[in-house]
Amino acid sequence: MRTLSTSLAALLAIGAAGAASAQTTATSGPFPVTGNVPALCAAGTNGSGSGSFDLGVLVNTSTGLLRNDLAAPPKVLTGAFCSSASTITVNATPLLSVNNVAAAPSGFSRTVNFTATAAGWTATAATFTTGAASNPGAVQTRGTAFTGDITVSIGAFSTGGGNALRLVADPAYLGSVTVTLAVVS
Amino acid sequence: MRARPALILAGLLLPAAAHAQGTSATSNFTVNASVPGSCAVGAPLLAAGRQVNFRGLNGTMLQIDELVDRTTLSTNAASVEVRFEAICTFPHRLKIETQNNGLWQTMERSSVPPPEGFGNAIPYRADVTWADENLRLNADAGVRRTADNSVFVSGAGLGEILLRLEIDAGATNERANAPLLAGTYGDTLRITLEPVQ
Repeated sequence: MRTLSTSLAALLAIGAAGAASAQTTATSGPFPVTGNVPALCAAGTNGSGSGSFDLGVLVNTSTGLLRNDLAAPPKVLTGAFCSSASTITVNATPLLSVNNVAAAPSGFSRTVNFTATAAGWTATAATFTTGAASNPGAVQTRGTAFTGDITVSIGAFSTGGGNALRLVADPAYLGSVTVTLAVVS
Repeated sequence: MRARPALILAGLLLPAAAHAQGTSATSNFTVNASVPGSCAVGAPLLAAGRQVNFRGLNGTMLQIDELVDRTTLSTNAASVEVRFEAICTFPHRLKIETQNNGLWQTMERSSVPPPEGFGNAIPYRADVTWADENLRLNADAGVRRTADNSVFVSGAGLGEILLRLEIDAGATNERANAPLLAGTYGDTLRITLEPVQ
């Protein structure tokens, strides 16, 4: 019996030693944890209420010629951001008479051109003039990530075909301005 | 062992979704305005070289030089052209209106008919040219009343309204070459450009 007891104790001791050896060698890894921050742009929120530039009556009603004091409050896009280098692009379409779409008679025009400007994103504001042969300043590039406000404004109005032309009557003249932020690819 | 590939897949999918949704962002604005329909007519100006037996234009008054032939005591011929700078930014109606339907005595107005054989009014014609339209008003002096004529102009117009007044020799409301009663004769013409909706 003594002999048997001794043998069991020896076996237990061996078993214990065997278990300790198995836990050490089971360690695995390292497990890589990866992710990234994508390049994103957001145009921000128009903090100026309406998304429309309302100019009112375009002409001096005594002469029929384009007013020289046309103005509309600028729009401010707040909270715009790009998480990488980006471009800002401004595009615009001229004011055109909506209902009176026939070709304007001699001496008249149905087009009002203007310059749209998006400032605050780049050192040089992006500008686009409707009716211009080219608009090299319409796209501006920023080399770093940025967040801030963009001020969008319109001005420098002129009659399509020349300011000596009168504008045909129409209760609705409509144009547009588009501002785009884009990641530089 | 399956956990590792799952972690790597998640890392690949996230940037793809973000790329589709946010690599560019756009804000759109509209620009609104209007041009009301309106017409304007400038002050009258005498057309050069088109003046016969008219003294000229004093403000808005045209004065005939010699209304009566001193020999026949009937009407002298007279004609004149007057132009007006004008603009209409809308389809409109051109209207010409005479207050008396002829040149009638202004100060000696009476309900009593003139003596037999005498005239007390002078007919004339008014021709208006504007925006490729021609309009005539015959002020026949038959009855003292207002009379008018008008034409619709389908588009905007810009330029000059040309008004030609013509009085024939011997024209009276009695008969041709009838003598005229003494007095001052006159009429008032109105030219109107009215936007038509």
